[in-house]
Amino acid sequence: MTATTGAGAAPPARNTPLALARGLLTGGVIGASPTMLVVGAVIESVPLFVTGVALPAIYGLLLFLSGAPGRAREAATAPCTALAVIESRELLGDEAAGDVAVRFVSTVAPDTAPAYRVAFTQPVHPADLPDHRPGGVVVVQYPPDRPWRVRIVKRPTPRWEERAAGAHLDAAPGPVLESEPDETGAVGYVRLLALLLAAAGVVLLFRADLFDEGATAQPPSPTRPSVSSSSSSSTTVVSAASGTVTLGPHQSFLDKAALRRAVASLSTGTDARAALTVVVQDRLLSVVYAPTVSQAPAFDPDSLPYERFPSLVGEAKRSLGVGAPQTWQLTVERLTGSLTVRVGVTGAGGTASLEADGDGTVVRRTPAH
Amino acid sequence: MGLRGYLALWCALFGTVALVGYVRSLAGVTAAQRAVRVPGRIERVREPRHGSSQRDGIPVVVSFQDPSTGEEFTVTNDRDHGERIAVAWTGRDIGVHYPPGRPHAYRFTGDLEAAPRGLGWPNFAVFLIYVGLVVFAAIDRGWPWALVGFGLPWTLSGLWYVPQNARAVRRRIAALTSQPPVPGRVVAVLTDTSTDSEGVTFLSHMPVIAFTTHTGTAVTAYCTEDLPDPAHSHGRDVMIHYDPDDPALFTPDLAAQDRSRLFDLTCGTVALLLGAAATVAGVVLL
Repeated sequence: MTATTGAGAAPPARNTPLALARGLLTGGVIGASPTMLVVGAVIESVPLFVTGVALPAIYGLLLFLSGAPGRAREAATAPCTALAVIESRELLGDEAAGDVAVRFVSTVAPDTAPAYRVAFTQPVHPADLPDHRPGGVVVVQYPPDRPWRVRIVKRPTPRWEERAAGAHLDAAPGPVLESEPDETGAVGYVRLLALLLAAAGVVLLFRADLFDEGATAQPPSPTRPSVSSSSSSSTTVVSAASGTVTLGPHQSFLDKAALRRAVASLSTGTDARAALTVVVQDRLLSVVYAPTVSQAPAFDPDSLPYERFPSLVGEAKRSLGVGAPQTWQLTVERLTGSLTVRVGVTGAGGTASLEADGDGTVVRRTPAH
Repeated sequence: MGLRGYLALWCALFGTVALVGYVRSLAGVTAAQRAVRVPGRIERVREPRHGSSQRDGIPVVVSFQDPSTGEEFTVTNDRDHGERIAVAWTGRDIGVHYPPGRPHAYRFTGDLEAAPRGLGWPNFAVFLIYVGLVVFAAIDRGWPWALVGFGLPWTLSGLWYVPQNARAVRRRIAALTSQPPVPGRVVAVLTDTSTDSEGVTFLSHMPVIAFTTHTGTAVTAYCTEDLPDPAHSHGRDVMIHYDPDDPALFTPDLAAQDRSRLFDLTCGTVALLLGAAATVAGVVLL
């Protein structure tokens, strides 16, 4: 085999925009993925958790695929074999801990190209160290287009073994070709920065859910009669006797599932408590709980037909002739024995009301007059 | 996205992987199918150096011919060239495979006859789909489905494997005892050191024995089992029973073979019974 590339070509620097971009992306994925796992677990968001698992897998796959053409090109070319003389060696590790990394400085003498000096590092089994003494001639291989990536052949073929045994090589003059340098500090710095930014970004993005979760998870108790929490989306106040949820601007309890969610947030971490009255306005939900010793007719606030409430309010606003502008209030109680849902609407045309039973079926209408 | 959504995504993902793999295999374009497979011959065997690494295999020189160019290659082995060669004698046939046009990327294989179809990844994808379905059934329909889903294939594979294994072990012992043993010697003990993540160092020792068969074949082989105190066995004389049809099958301790047969059979039977019990329990609890 022959060397097709002359020695002396310096290995390319790796501080390229591509290396920086890769460092940025790698740092971002390393930072974002575990943060997503933790935040996803804390706020119980399955999609976020799954993204945290899938992101590094997909990124790794993309990295692997992007490197495939280069690896295929490299694998397609047969390596060059040559004799080399070891000028010096330096043990970089502990012999007792298995294969030890050794840094060699050698002169490589290809058959058809000028000899050149090269420094490279290779792991060596401690028992094989006597074969790699300074001054000894060894057989090496390297890719034709990367003469600095030299590797000592552990078991040369008989022909090369004979050549090495009979050869006498002198160290070549000239500078030492370094094997591929490690990545520069800039890439490491960019990666660290991207890691921190990505982790902070994920936390900031989900800060509302994180802080909200932290506050509502604490149950109300006799020693802590009132718990309040607020986030950009809602304010929740819970005490032993009542619970109130006030929505933020641009929201309404007529939004899909908003009521069910708010009631669930009131009862988080507590035993199911019976309610005397539930009052709903556009952005205010108020539940008055029954005292534990009370004989008053109470009901389970979780059992109400919340899905029907928006259509009941809509019907009251539309069909009872109150005109615009309108305000509305929905009240649930069972003072008369059976559960009653009453919707009152006030507009330019006066006040009207609508009554429904525990299933949300309309039983009485009182139009405006 | 609910549980069903995730299951659908899981099945779609691995279904695609499996489908692509099977189509590629049918078309004959998987890497395993495209690889050039040629017989190689061990031309020279050397005793490994005492204390060196076992990961490179027994040092051999192998020759093979590239069928497309007719060129003859003489190569050596180490840890970067396929299966570790653990038993060697001059003249032994050994499989060599490499991507088309790249004889320098040769790999050794002990399996001379096999014509692999490259179905490893597609089959694994199908297994993952099955696991997904069983997990889904266990969550959606009740946990006894997990017992049935995993116990049934476990039992079926046990029913297939245990009798076959018992027959193979019986045949092996019959072959080993078919003729008197020959003298052998531990010519080297290979030592590797590994360190775990907590810095604890482990030493592993592999005795290498050399013996000559009744027909004059000089065999050098790693002795992976049946040799007591392998770390201090260097220079020890042993008696070797071997299979006359394939000297790669040998033992320095026939009694240990009997013991391992009993152990194998017991383990196989217990595993089979566990699988069957899980399946029955699952069916009853459904």
